[in-house]
Amino acid sequence: MTVTTAQPMAPGWKRALSDGAMIITIVYLLLYAIYASSEPSALSVFSISSLINNTAPLALAAAGATLVIICRGFDLSVAGVVSVTNVVMAVMPLEGPWGALGSLAICLAIGGFIGLINGFLVAYLKLQSIASTLGVMIVCQGVALVILDAPGGWVAEWVSYELTDVLFGFLPVSGLILLGVVGLWLLVLRSNLGLAIYAVGADETSAGLSGIATRRVRLLVYVGAGLLYACAGYMLSAQTATGNPNAGTPFIILTFAAVAIGGTSFAGGSGGLIGSMIGAATLMLLQKVLFSTGVASFYTGMFQGLILVLAILFRGSIVALATRRGSG
Amino acid sequence: MAQIDPTAQSLAAASDARSRGRLESETIAGIVIFLLCILLIVCARFISPALGGWSHAETTLLLASFLIVVAFGQGLVILVGGLDLSVASMITLGGVLSTTMVGSYDAGAWALPVVVVFCSLLGGVSGFSVAYLKVPPFIMTMAMGVIVYSACLGYTKGSPRGAAPELFIDLMKAEWLGIPVAIIFVLLFALAGWLVQKHTAFGRRLYAVGSNQEAAYVAGVHVRRVTLSAYVVSALCAGFTGMMLAGYANGATLRMGDSYLLPSIAAVVVGGSSILGGRGSFIGTVGGAILLTALSTIIQALGVPQGWRTVIEGMIILIALLMLREQLYQAITQLFSRQH
Amino acid sequence: MDKSKQPEAVAAWGLKKSYGATVALSGVSLAVQPGEIHALLGENGAGKSTLVRIFSGILRADDGEMSLFGQSYRPQSIAAAREAGVTTAFQELSLLPNLSVAQNLLLPKMVKGRFGLNSKAESEARARDILERFGIAHLDPRREVSSLALSDRQRLEIVRALSREPRFLILDEPTAALAEVDWVFDHVRAVAARGSSVLYISHRLGEVRELCSHATILRNGQSIDSVELSDADNDDIFRMMVGRSVFVGGQANKSAPQKTGKPVLSVEGIKSQILRDVSFVLHQGEILGVAALEGQGQQGLFRILGGVEQADEGRISRAGRIGRFKNPHDALTRGGVAFVPEERKVDGIFPGLGVTPNITISILDRLSRGGVLSAPREARTTRQVAEKVELSNRYLAFRINELSGGNQQKAILARALATGAQVLVLFDPTRGVDVGTKQTIYAAIRAFAAAGGSVLLYSSELPELVEIADRCLVIYGGRVLDELVGAEIEEQALVAGVTGHARQRQTTPERPLPLCEEAPAQ
Repeated sequence: MTVTTAQPMAPGWKRALSDGAMIITIVYLLLYAIYASSEPSALSVFSISSLINNTAPLALAAAGATLVIICRGFDLSVAGVVSVTNVVMAVMPLEGPWGALGSLAICLAIGGFIGLINGFLVAYLKLQSIASTLGVMIVCQGVALVILDAPGGWVAEWVSYELTDVLFGFLPVSGLILLGVVGLWLLVLRSNLGLAIYAVGADETSAGLSGIATRRVRLLVYVGAGLLYACAGYMLSAQTATGNPNAGTPFIILTFAAVAIGGTSFAGGSGGLIGSMIGAATLMLLQKVLFSTGVASFYTGMFQGLILVLAILFRGSIVALATRRGSG
Repeated sequence: MAQIDPTAQSLAAASDARSRGRLESETIAGIVIFLLCILLIVCARFISPALGGWSHAETTLLLASFLIVVAFGQGLVILVGGLDLSVASMITLGGVLSTTMVGSYDAGAWALPVVVVFCSLLGGVSGFSVAYLKVPPFIMTMAMGVIVYSACLGYTKGSPRGAAPELFIDLMKAEWLGIPVAIIFVLLFALAGWLVQKHTAFGRRLYAVGSNQEAAYVAGVHVRRVTLSAYVVSALCAGFTGMMLAGYANGATLRMGDSYLLPSIAAVVVGGSSILGGRGSFIGTVGGAILLTALSTIIQALGVPQGWRTVIEGMIILIALLMLREQLYQAITQLFSRQH
Repeated sequence: MDKSKQPEAVAAWGLKKSYGATVALSGVSLAVQPGEIHALLGENGAGKSTLVRIFSGILRADDGEMSLFGQSYRPQSIAAAREAGVTTAFQELSLLPNLSVAQNLLLPKMVKGRFGLNSKAESEARARDILERFGIAHLDPRREVSSLALSDRQRLEIVRALSREPRFLILDEPTAALAEVDWVFDHVRAVAARGSSVLYISHRLGEVRELCSHATILRNGQSIDSVELSDADNDDIFRMMVGRSVFVGGQANKSAPQKTGKPVLSVEGIKSQILRDVSFVLHQGEILGVAALEGQGQQGLFRILGGVEQADEGRISRAGRIGRFKNPHDALTRGGVAFVPEERKVDGIFPGLGVTPNITISILDRLSRGGVLSAPREARTTRQVAEKVELSNRYLAFRINELSGGNQQKAILARALATGAQVLVLFDPTRGVDVGTKQTIYAAIRAFAAAGGSVLLYSSELPELVEIADRCLVIYGGRVLDELVGAEIEEQALVAGVTGHARQRQTTPERPLPLCEEAPAQ
């Protein structure tokens, strides 16, 4: 009997890191070095924590989008959920730590409900994910406008102060929340659901034949994404301290860019949340670097768009190279 | 030849009658959507005496003309199984480019070829990336949209100046025999669009690519070339719409395209095209565009706030998606026949 | 069969299933005793895989009953079927390429470790146990399935079904990618020895005879008969599968076996992943058949000739010009070669479009002036070519997906004929169509050749080649193994050839050799 040489597969967390996340981490560190060399204060606790605060909403939103994309879907409702939760926070400020918790619960309920609708439309009614989440997004943006028709309102002070604060002089609260999400994700990776998400994303038919309840997995993925978008809206409100019915709009392009540069393939079945979160951090850092090097803010969109396309092309060429080597 | 399966024959006969109705269903859907438009406009009289008349119809048609032109290009991209999210920025580009050309260089009608060249180049880049480099269409066009918008923003330093070319002011404002030129134009455009989609080799190939890309390739269609050209046409239509809008308002704004992106997709979907490609007709899309415009004029007249208008817009897309789904009925019955 | 003697382990009565207008099963009954290995035989499209899917809980039958060890059996999901003890190794393999061997084996539930989390180490240990138990310990449970060879994936698929200790095991073409079958046979026999029942599906009759005691034959979605294999000879079984005797017809039509026209297409030294140096010449007015078992490289060869794929090496000469076809359009316009692909649904039809646009898609340039299509010219052309394939005019206004499979196939052949190409490259053009349509397609092909066209034709049914080919290449293991001309083309010789036995001239084997030879593993 021939003994094939073992090619061990990386375990869950290592795999999550090695799958493109490694590259983006290196890119991030390089970019940070550039930033630090042009802006000496870049290494201070204050600027690091403000960077993390800036990153948190996008990182959370990108994490949610990644869940859906691993499962081979697209979710545009991120803009809707962020907008709705943001205006709710601004219109209905609940003070104190319990108020903050109550607000979080309300946000999560909103995000979970919208995710449930998305999941039902995509998984059970078999609508195309781009089109149906687009419809849901528009409805949500309308709802946000109904709740608050122009930018304004105040987010509860406790939320806007405490959640952007630094604990023990070095630990930003928002960073803690991001770590919490990463921890949760690592747990999910060690569950049957985590496995099922990758399975459904790679090949829905085979996953079904292997005994996975594919529709339920898809539904859960959209609900999970909705919850993460809600967290993103919550953290955004903490950061801006005010409401804006269009707060979510910039999130569409930015989340997809973060996912793409974070190494998750839009073909599904690979990638991970951590890469996308570092991708989000890279995008926010890039804005800072562009600003500090004096590029007119008019052109940040241009860089974001280019980075999105280049990240996809880069990934595509790596995959092409790998498969060529594999077959040849 | 006596061995022909009798069940096969009776089956064929049975499907005969049924599908004769089916093939005409596209025509029927087209008629229904236009009847709905007329009904909507006539019923608007109950809301306000200012509405529901000939002038209301004329205004609706005039306002719908922008949407009809964008939706043609959007429809072609959807027909080949893609989606063009860059139309909003292309509209802005068309508007900004033509007005600054007139404002800074007194270019007049020469703005037209400049816009055509720019838009087809940019549409070509999107199409090339989608068709040859296999970038997902909606990612590519979204990125293109952001890039073009940011370029417009930088180019105009935030506030576009200048005036629209005379040609486009005339197109949108002038009348001919008491009928606005724009309406005559858009009717001709609809006719031409329908011809291109249904009665040219190009249109036929678009359908083939959207219906089954593999089969189209095997049958000798240049799939990538056809896909690319759909994106070029879409960018061109959007750029042209931008010039029409600039002519209508005699000036451009950076956000002028935003309110046409989602309606352009909605018009196509409401008009009966499949969002997955390969199916639909431009007549339906025109009907969809007029219906959406009529609806929005009426809602505006009712004084419904912007928020609710947006909600209704989104619901229309969702409802259209649900109604168009052929397997919807199957899925629902399956849902209830299955216990878990 | 006397029911009272012994209760069947698995039974089905009058199963029916249809998808809209397409009838997949129209009355299937079968019974399997405990400990019996029962074969399911039938042509492509006879309804075998639909039946498998119903037994496995993926599809629900519209009508009919099933029972499992005396109890009514109506699984609502794959999980429910597994619960009842029914497991399946699917033909198309249901493994997930991005997961590890261990994960694939244990799906959907891994082994839990501490804190209720999945334990990788314990899952792998359990997987290793399973792999050892079924004699494929050389597979590392940590390896990602995408890195496995096709044969190992097939083994994994089978082991996954075996490892759940089924009461009813279904194996759908389990040996398609395996070089040696003893491993499968041993384990299947072990399952049967435990008293479980096995449904074994294979197109290799030799294997079936070796392993199974009984067989049920399906044709056009109906169970024709259940037979004891020791009582039935191959002719009987073929007759039941095809609906007529295999050896009827044929020779009579070949009055003048060799019409040697001038060479129109020559292929030299084509090499690809599977093909190893294929050369031949196609003459004017000739129908050149290609016979091969599945997976001998014929697919690649035909796709290369159609311009769909590129050869690694070798060249195609056509009308004095030498080179390769860049794409199907190139093959069509420059080479005058029209290709009819294998998979009608995947590569052939445009569902949702009418029959007319489906036929004229390759000749739009000819039908239009300045890009605008001429409706009358299109209608005229379509009618003319539809007539050649006896496609009734009333179908032309239909959407093609509303036609039966046979009429769809006629439309696709009409598309190739409409191009005016002088060379037709047809890959299994009669797969899954009824007998009447087959005759129509043969007639159209003959008429095309009689008018001076040349045809290269692969068929998965050897009798078809006997009936229609003037000359026949036998491809085995990526090479042209043999070439038969005229009256030499007979079923016995073809069977011997496709199974790798080069013909020795003058000696004709008395009985057809069983189809038990292996396809080389990829």
